[in-house]
Amino acid sequence: MTDSAEAVRTHQLFKRFGQQVAVGGVDLIVPRGSFAGLVGPNGAGKTTTLSMVTGLLRPDGGTIHIDGLDVWRDPVQVKARIGVLPEGLRLFERLSGRELLSYNGQLRGIPKAEVEHRAEELLRVMDLTESADKLVVDYSTGMRKKIGLAAALLHNPRVLFLDEPFEGVDPVSANTLTEVLRRYTHSGATVVFSSHVMDLVERLCDWVSVMSRGQIVAQGPLDQVRAGRSLNEAFLGLVGAGEHGHGTDGGEGLSWLGATSA
Amino acid sequence: MAGRDLGVTERAARVGPLLFVRLKLRLVAGNLRGNGVRVAGFVFTVIAALVVAGLGFLGVSALRFAPAQIAADVGIVLFTVFLVSWAIVPLLAFGLDDTLDPSRLALLPLRTGQLATGMFAASITGVWPISALVVMSGAVFGIATGLGGVLLGIVAVLLEFALCIVTSRLITTSMSGVMRTRRGRDVLAVSVVLFALAGQIPNLVLNGGFSTDPARTLHAMASVLRWTPPGLAAHAIADGGLVGLAELVVLAVLVLVIGRLWIAALNRALVTPDASTQGASVRNSRGLLARFLPDGQLAAVATKELKYARRDPRGRVLWFTSLAVTGVMAFSLSRGDGVGGPGLVVGPACLGAVMIALQSANSFGIDGRSLWMNAVTYGTGREWRIDLTGRHLAVATIGAPLLAVLAVAASLLAGDLALAVPGALTAWGVLGVGLGIGAVTSVLVPYSVPDRLNAFTGAVPGQGGIAFVASFGAMIGGGLLALPVALPVLLGATWVSVLAVPYGLLISWAGRRLAGNIGFRRYPELVGAVSQGG
Repeated sequence: MTDSAEAVRTHQLFKRFGQQVAVGGVDLIVPRGSFAGLVGPNGAGKTTTLSMVTGLLRPDGGTIHIDGLDVWRDPVQVKARIGVLPEGLRLFERLSGRELLSYNGQLRGIPKAEVEHRAEELLRVMDLTESADKLVVDYSTGMRKKIGLAAALLHNPRVLFLDEPFEGVDPVSANTLTEVLRRYTHSGATVVFSSHVMDLVERLCDWVSVMSRGQIVAQGPLDQVRAGRSLNEAFLGLVGAGEHGHGTDGGEGLSWLGATSA
Repeated sequence: MAGRDLGVTERAARVGPLLFVRLKLRLVAGNLRGNGVRVAGFVFTVIAALVVAGLGFLGVSALRFAPAQIAADVGIVLFTVFLVSWAIVPLLAFGLDDTLDPSRLALLPLRTGQLATGMFAASITGVWPISALVVMSGAVFGIATGLGGVLLGIVAVLLEFALCIVTSRLITTSMSGVMRTRRGRDVLAVSVVLFALAGQIPNLVLNGGFSTDPARTLHAMASVLRWTPPGLAAHAIADGGLVGLAELVVLAVLVLVIGRLWIAALNRALVTPDASTQGASVRNSRGLLARFLPDGQLAAVATKELKYARRDPRGRVLWFTSLAVTGVMAFSLSRGDGVGGPGLVVGPACLGAVMIALQSANSFGIDGRSLWMNAVTYGTGREWRIDLTGRHLAVATIGAPLLAVLAVAASLLAGDLALAVPGALTAWGVLGVGLGIGAVTSVLVPYSVPDRLNAFTGAVPGQGGIAFVASFGAMIGGGLLALPVALPVLLGATWVSVLAVPYGLLISWAGRRLAGNIGFRRYPELVGAVSQGG
């Protein structure tokens, strides 16, 4: 079962909230060992897709396999294999960074001594040693993303899902995050992260899935998706930006903007 | 063209109070959209408010049939209670709601005066303010003795209503700066319990023995409160003459002054920056419980829960409230006549157990948005059960010794120390039953506990109905299941208390087992339900 070449494969994944179809038949594919970016404009369904793939949101239809295992039928196996950093930095606010890591490790049944050892190393790599005993509620955004990533990595998962890991992160912390993630994928593990920062995706990823309005509109190796253009240009073309507007020069819309300087 | 554009950008926007009313209604409607349970909760609230309004109005109107002096005294006390609760309750029970948090409106091009009238209008919009107004207007029929009284009464009720609103706004606005810092919120959240306790003081005093003549006590109280602003309003209705008119003028001036103060506070609140808190380090202690428990999930959850009881203001509030309510009730019960024997000890002890167990009627609520961390780890019903066991263990670690102390204290008050043993045993049993039921309600009717200050309802807007169902269900279910052991002991068969602890353990185990399986089957919904708002 686990010899599948794909780390993640969804088939016709579907989710609606009331009348709104958030994810309408998504076939997400991520090859094993890749550093994959899930890109798309706001509201494209990235977060909903990642929530369903990580077992936090029940899909209305479709199947999800991670390393060939069904997420909703074989939760024990799947949950041991994945690490998650969801959107919104939802962490146990009243634990210190160190306590958060050890809580996480113990929940997963890792022996305490091993948890402490790993936590110490992660805190050092993430440059959090000085703040390790402060409550997470007092952490800055960058620190929270780093401690969240540390918690997701603690049990050495095979596949890591990160929802907007670089949003609101200062350049220094972002650099730390990317270094850790690079090292992690070089060991053969898979990273799937959502973002709308195209430069970053272009720099880090070797595999890209582009989502728009609840659908995957392009998917494949980075070079194939961008097809000679910059990823940003390819992306804007794929999601159909400019179709509804009046061109890039402003045209008839917004004529009042800046018209009167007083 | 240009002239019109300039007009829009440079003058303050012409925005009437109606816009704020619509904003508030939109927020309420938006909260309800597409969620049947919330709609049911809202309907329930509306019905409750209608009932309160109707019964309250009739009750206050019925003062007509009481002697004039007593009617006036009751009116004075009632109006004072209205003002005090209106000033405090929004702070305690609802926090600052979105329409009324001035910082969210800071960037709108509105003059402070416009903002104030708008927020005033938004404050009136709601089922409870209207319901309160209806109850208060009962005073016009209940207290007034002549035509003058009725005419002054209408003005007095409106002024009292306005006074309630501007006072409550003044308090929340001046607090909003404090509320935006983490430590300020923490401190305020815990001090909420002190308010609640303070509310019990008159009760205790009345119970304290000098309530031989209720009419005289009432009159003594009213003769003091008569000079407070709400007292003036009520007195004016009863007076109905020139004195009443003068009182209303004073009251009107007061409303205006408080209104001005509020506008000043609003002005300041709009430009006060968020004070950030420099976090202090916490001690990295292992905790007592962790030393006895085997390393693993159970120890992780139990120690985390104990830390939360200490560090999270909501945890502290829950514990303080349980203790305070139990203390007050135990004290009142011990003063009562008629109840005797074991009931005097077992009663308060069981009550304490119920109060503590009620905290667990929504076990996952305080984890809230962080619960995903557990959910991405647990792959079986057994793991959810262990999680609940850890939570129960933490509650029992704090609760069991407290109940023992309570039983000893109650038995000392009752004058028979031997009763402490059945008292403590029965209370532990009841705690076990309560935890078992609470485990099931935690997974069946979970709801979010907002991060913001909140003491009584403990639910985000729109989930109040669910919160009510959860705690009410837990209370009724727990009460019924606890009867087999609690009732015989209460009635004097103290030996039955020996069975209480095993019985409680059995029920709590069964509850966790059931809840673990249900929780595993519907954990995405569970995580969703506790992650609302905040």
